[in-house]
Amino acid sequence: MEGMMTAIRVIPLEHYIVLSFILFSIGMAGALFRRNTIIILMCLELMFNSVNLLLAAFSAHHSDPGGQVFVFFIMLVAAAEVTVGLAILVMMKRNVDSVDINQLNRLKW
Amino acid sequence: MSALILTSVLGVLLLYLGLFGQKKLLVPVGVLGLLAAIGLFVMDRSINVPMFAHMVSFDRAGWLFSCGMLVVTVLIFLFGADYYARQEENVAEQYALMIFSLTGALLLTSYTNLLMLFLGIEILSIPLYIMAGGKRDSMRSSEASFKYFLLGSFASAFLLMGIALIYGVAASFDLGVVKEVALRQLVQPDILFTLGCFFVAIGLSFKVAAAPFHFWSPDVYEGSPTLITAFMSTVVKMAAFIGLYRFVGITQMPPTLGKALLVMTIFTLMIGNIVALRQSHFKRLMAYSSIAHSGFLLMAVLSQAPNTAQVLFYYTFTYSLATVGLFILMTLAKRAANGDEHIRIFRGLFRAKPWLGVVMLLLMLSLAGIPLTAGFVAKYQIFLLAIGADLIKTTVFAVLMALVGIYYYAVVIREAFTPSEEAPALVVSPVNLLLISVCGISVVLFGLLPGYLQ
Repeated sequence: MEGMMTAIRVIPLEHYIVLSFILFSIGMAGALFRRNTIIILMCLELMFNSVNLLLAAFSAHHSDPGGQVFVFFIMLVAAAEVTVGLAILVMMKRNVDSVDINQLNRLKW
Repeated sequence: MSALILTSVLGVLLLYLGLFGQKKLLVPVGVLGLLAAIGLFVMDRSINVPMFAHMVSFDRAGWLFSCGMLVVTVLIFLFGADYYARQEENVAEQYALMIFSLTGALLLTSYTNLLMLFLGIEILSIPLYIMAGGKRDSMRSSEASFKYFLLGSFASAFLLMGIALIYGVAASFDLGVVKEVALRQLVQPDILFTLGCFFVAIGLSFKVAAAPFHFWSPDVYEGSPTLITAFMSTVVKMAAFIGLYRFVGITQMPPTLGKALLVMTIFTLMIGNIVALRQSHFKRLMAYSSIAHSGFLLMAVLSQAPNTAQVLFYYTFTYSLATVGLFILMTLAKRAANGDEHIRIFRGLFRAKPWLGVVMLLLMLSLAGIPLTAGFVAKYQIFLLAIGADLIKTTVFAVLMALVGIYYYAVVIREAFTPSEEAPALVVSPVNLLLISVCGISVVLFGLLPGYLQ
């Protein structure tokens, strides 16, 4: 474990921050612009995971285990969220027979 | 503390009742459990005692909000007795999910660690995504559910990013440490910390439906079952606002964050009130009205005076009473009108049931903020807070917007008092009559005697 922490610390913190921001932005762009709901779910997952990476990096650099514990909680919640999301997706697919986000246009002002 | 455990166990208990087909017992057991939780809160009074390894601590505001949310949930449960009377399947799940969601809301009133903020938001939201899709064969319901889910998770990702950045600077999730770091930030600002505060604020403003992050709320309010809409616009709003208030208080509000929140407040007030003017669908009207109320509440959050929490509580609680009453009235009128949700369903209400018409008038006047109702006292206190915090221009703008808001409430009142050729055939069960009367009378009582809620 300690070896792992030093290995993480070899790379400067800024690199982790930039990488996480890039991953987060890719996820965000995908969630906003892709039309396929399954891809959108994947992009949301990417956003969560970029945060996980950032937390793990901060945790190693601060030598504080709290961040890694937080990562476990995020994984747990993300799993719960995806479970619910896929269930809702199946329900929607049964009703409109498509997973295209453009089908979601019945509620409008 | 024991109340937190009680509510979680209560949810599981309700699931078991559903499993063994005891549909009749659901509401009595649920209401008794919630009343017991209120009792525990009242007896307990362990204010400011850290619990669960310094994760949770109820201060005076958290205590008030928790009791308020439990009371509103009791009202919604009683409403459910009639609402779900004709539905045979999956009723227990709806109640259980509502209780689970409430547990998350209780965590939001009392978190002292960013981990609990995140878990509270998620425990509050995940059951809500399911509840919004409660009508399984309705396309609108599943659409609302999916939209809510997508935008909710999107907001959670922002919240998490913010928490991670704050952790990067503070090296701890504990709010005490974060507060010290935030104090140091006032002298030497760190871009990462400010950015983190921004991200968390964005994540939370999705939940309170503040513009420009409000666009999900009209769709979700319209598509969800009415009972769930009532829950969303009351308990969830209370929880999200106390969560946001605590967070903004901890960060000491860096000047940039303060400015961003101010702009958000102005947008929220404007969009909520102006777009509501052209709504004729009752649930969407209520959604925009709820956005407008978020604007007023944001003003209070910005002020951060010692009595802000009490004012927030008074505002959200009286708003919740009025909203629950109106959604019950709407369900009754909707049934009489064969599922229509246009505001014309209220036409002839006063002629058909004079008392219901009067209560509707009171509730609407309270939402509009007319003197002698609780809504007026609430808005008045918020304006006082905002003036105290030197937000004079915003206050003037908010007063103007409140005046604009009176119009769309008046349109609904006019419908209720216009006689129609055929009076709506309203069937009112005793429980619903009691609930509506309680909401109507308490809105006036709390308006006359505001001291009782503080």
